[in-house]
Amino acid sequence: MRHLVFLLPALLLLLALPDTRGRYNDDFDDGEDIAEFDDNDFAEFEDVSEDPAVDVEKEPPPRAAPSSTPIEDDEDEATVENEDSQDEFEDADAQDQDMYSKYDNEEFEGYEKTNSPFKDTLIYREVPAHLQNSWESYYMEILMVTGLLAYIMNYIIGKNKNSRLAQAWFNSHRELLESNFALVGDDGTSKEGTSTGKLNQENEHIYNLWCSGRVCCEGMLIQLKFLKRQDLLNVLARMMRPVCDQVQVKVTLNDEDMDTFVFAVGSRKAMARLQKELQDLSEFCGDKPKSGAKYGIPESLAILSEMGEVTDGVMDNKMVHYLTTHADKIESIHFSDQFSGPKVMQEEGQPLKLPETKKTLLFTFNVPGMGNTSPKDMDSLLPLMNMVIYSIDKLKKLRLNREGKQKADRNRARVEENFLKHTHAQRQEAAQTRREEKKRAEKERIMNEEDPDRQRRLEEAAQRREQKKMEKKQMKMKQIKVKAM
Amino acid sequence: MTVNNMADPRRPNKIFRYKPPNTETNPTLEDPTPDYMNLLGMIFSMCGLMLKLKWCAWIAVYCSFISFKSLKCNASGLLSISAVVMSYLQNPQPMSPPW
Repeated sequence: MRHLVFLLPALLLLLALPDTRGRYNDDFDDGEDIAEFDDNDFAEFEDVSEDPAVDVEKEPPPRAAPSSTPIEDDEDEATVENEDSQDEFEDADAQDQDMYSKYDNEEFEGYEKTNSPFKDTLIYREVPAHLQNSWESYYMEILMVTGLLAYIMNYIIGKNKNSRLAQAWFNSHRELLESNFALVGDDGTSKEGTSTGKLNQENEHIYNLWCSGRVCCEGMLIQLKFLKRQDLLNVLARMMRPVCDQVQVKVTLNDEDMDTFVFAVGSRKAMARLQKELQDLSEFCGDKPKSGAKYGIPESLAILSEMGEVTDGVMDNKMVHYLTTHADKIESIHFSDQFSGPKVMQEEGQPLKLPETKKTLLFTFNVPGMGNTSPKDMDSLLPLMNMVIYSIDKLKKLRLNREGKQKADRNRARVEENFLKHTHAQRQEAAQTRREEKKRAEKERIMNEEDPDRQRRLEEAAQRREQKKMEKKQMKMKQIKVKAM
Repeated sequence: MTVNNMADPRRPNKIFRYKPPNTETNPTLEDPTPDYMNLLGMIFSMCGLMLKLKWCAWIAVYCSFISFKSLKCNASGLLSISAVVMSYLQNPQPMSPPW
């Protein structure tokens, strides 16, 4: 009897287990992430008889199967076992259905209908990208790093190319320079003035060379201004707008090496730009650039000159030959005794002084190739350096006649006068402000004095000083009046 | 002309030493791009660190690369790299494109 008492609850439990499993099914059907659960764990709870529920359940297992492929073999084994267990419980399910059918059907009217939306409301969450073991999700980062690597590669390649071009230029010009200058290559840092014999690298695209120790000039600074091949942005910009490498030569002369005149020749564009930018060209060569055809040089070149005599003197046969042969490589040639650089924009209130001038020859040459230069192209610049040397020697001998000299002197006097007039008002203002500031400072000192006696004394001293000034002014006025009379 | 060929134009007693041009008097000659890039790099790296924006940090790295070689100033370069590293430590998710 007691055994029966214990067996009955066990039997009831056995009967009730399908219910609990059904409840588990309901939990699953409520839309939890079934993909995360293993198939074999809950396969035994699959309700084969309830069709909508079965459809729902059969969907997650196929989804779970591809994500857990290593345990495929286990799953197959498991399903075999589970199928056996399923058979066991199928009878129980059938029993359940019979049980439910005994109840009121109206109670379960909406039951089947509620099963169908489960398919739609099931949300499949994606695994967050950083938990996925795939490099593809980091494609933006890979792109960025690739971009950086490309920039670095371009930097190395560009720097090397510029370096090779500079060395090629120096190798082709070394002989000419060493035969003309005692000092070739100086960075200014060494104690002794000996030739370094190599270019001075300012940065990745600019190389300098200083030559000195020659008749007719103080020194010559050659700047190789290459394109910024090391900067990727610049490379891309150059694809839109092609630019040339340039070689700039600046020869500084002593006072006796050159007469007083200003002259320039070069491409039309360059002449127009220089006339606006440079102080001396704008002041002394006021006329528009003239065509060079009159002197036998190509139309593409224009001339800016202080006076016709200068042009005639500079444009001898050899010079014309040089200019005609190498017109494409010449950007500008500028001879000036009043060179002071570009126009300086002075701020108001600052006392203006005449800018310092130096007798200078400036040459700007374009390297052929329009950016795509090879080291061999540097040899083609050698005749231009010959022209530079020739110009230095020539200008030493070029002297204006008396008329020309007078005209030149008048021009310079005129420019100085204009400058003084222009700045006169500003200089007066500056002096006035200085005087006012002095007075203010004195007054402040008097006010700040705590001792009243000292204050009084300082005030009296200031008053006396002012009286003296007034008296002096009156005396001056009287003197002027007497002189006028 | 022949005189020049015969006589040596070199004068060792007339040597002048090289004086680097004073850049203070001619500020227009200096290229301002590296300075701007340096500043931009600093700004972007601060934005990237504070606002936790990955793309800001990457742009900062690029800016500091561009200005690094001209100025040889490592501060902004290190700052931008630290901005990138911190952004990824705090949020390892890959960067989403802005479009």
